[in-house]
Amino acid sequence: MATSLPYTLNLSIPFESARQAEIACKTLSPDPILKVNELNVKYSHDSNTLTCAFSGVSDRVIRVAVSNVIDNIKTIIECMDEFDGKEDELFQ
Amino acid sequence: MTVDLDQYAKPGKGYYLALGLEGSANKLGVGIIKHHLGQLSSTNRAEVLSNVRDTYITPPGEGFLPRDTARHHRNWVVRIIKKALVEGNVRGTDLDCICFTQGPGMGAPLQSVVIAARTLSQLWNLPLVGVNHCIGHIEMGREITGAHNPVVLYVSGGNTQVIAYSDQRYRIFGETLDIAIGNCLDRFARTLMIPNEPAPGYNIEQMAKKGKHLVSLPYTVKGMDLSMSGILANIDQIAKDLFGKAKQVKNKQLIDEETGEPITSEDLCFSLQEVLFSMLVEITERALAHVNSNQVLIVGGVGSNERLQEMMKLMIQDRKNGQIYATDERFCIDNGIMIAHAGLLSYRTGQTNDLWNTVCTQRFRTDEVFIKWRDD
Repeated sequence: MATSLPYTLNLSIPFESARQAEIACKTLSPDPILKVNELNVKYSHDSNTLTCAFSGVSDRVIRVAVSNVIDNIKTIIECMDEFDGKEDELFQ
Repeated sequence: MTVDLDQYAKPGKGYYLALGLEGSANKLGVGIIKHHLGQLSSTNRAEVLSNVRDTYITPPGEGFLPRDTARHHRNWVVRIIKKALVEGNVRGTDLDCICFTQGPGMGAPLQSVVIAARTLSQLWNLPLVGVNHCIGHIEMGREITGAHNPVVLYVSGGNTQVIAYSDQRYRIFGETLDIAIGNCLDRFARTLMIPNEPAPGYNIEQMAKKGKHLVSLPYTVKGMDLSMSGILANIDQIAKDLFGKAKQVKNKQLIDEETGEPITSEDLCFSLQEVLFSMLVEITERALAHVNSNQVLIVGGVGSNERLQEMMKLMIQDRKNGQIYATDERFCIDNGIMIAHAGLLSYRTGQTNDLWNTVCTQRFRTDEVFIKWRDD
């Protein structure tokens, strides 16, 4: 792990609740990073904020990764908006 | 069959419900299936409560690329899940598990769907079950047709396999050595600029019905396996010679030797189908002889081709008590219900995936899956 990843970027995304932030964090975490010597992403959550910490060999690598993570977060948030707390509901 | 499928039943509940999410290629499917307690049999069939599908259609001449397909799935997945719940008249609390395609398939589309599966599973506190796409096709085909222990011909856009069950595995007898049969047909459809709506293979099938003359193409069965890329290259070249845009050389005319009539694109579709399907029939028949079976089950998108079903029937009729089983496009073409069905069988034998174990994989062979729910 001697390779240095000089470019970094942090995303902080507020959710409605700490539980939602935790769910988002757990949903994103399992997928492995394909090129670990070029990119690293760390997900963490603190109260209702999800933090995604990117570090990579170039800003291009970071941009691609951020765009992908944001796409995934969009799906997660849409899921929460539609389904959170509605497991007893009969949808119409 | 003596496997106890009810060890994990919820107390006081007489049935199971599973939600299935499929998105390994250009179809996004969500389905809900119901199993009643006890072994599945002709009197205790699985019930399809909903089966919703949305297909990403590209313009004529273009295939679907992973990134664009993933975007399509992300755009639609939540809406399609909701539609399936509405159609099935099902609440989240009625569900037992959420099943998703773990592979094989295209990486990006698979990943975009599993994100929704993971989120929903945590929101509603439901276990996740990862399903092998091929096993989904096989189990759904068996359930719908009632075929007990058939030789399975699995033919789709990404897979071409002849499969037989033995000792709790679906074992691959023969398969393609290069491209899948559906891929071969789809790519030829692109060469001819045939529309991808509703499906390129369907449009080729309709054109082939009007074809009369058989154009000579390579026939490439390799033992129990097939090779199809050479056939595609060959027929692509013929099509380019006949209808190509390069007008500097006058387009070649290809004439049918017997009638002297010119070869049309319909004839090419007809010839391609005849050659590819004969190859499939040959290796399927050989597999039947090997395992001493007389039942064939055709699954996968190409399985909805009626000419393939007809050719297979001609072969099977010559065998003693031969039977052919096939389903229509609702269950042949990729769908969520088959993932729900195979996933629920897994769930009923205690197989679930924890979150860390839900990473999708592009390569996931049929014979890697331990078939815990069968022991015949």
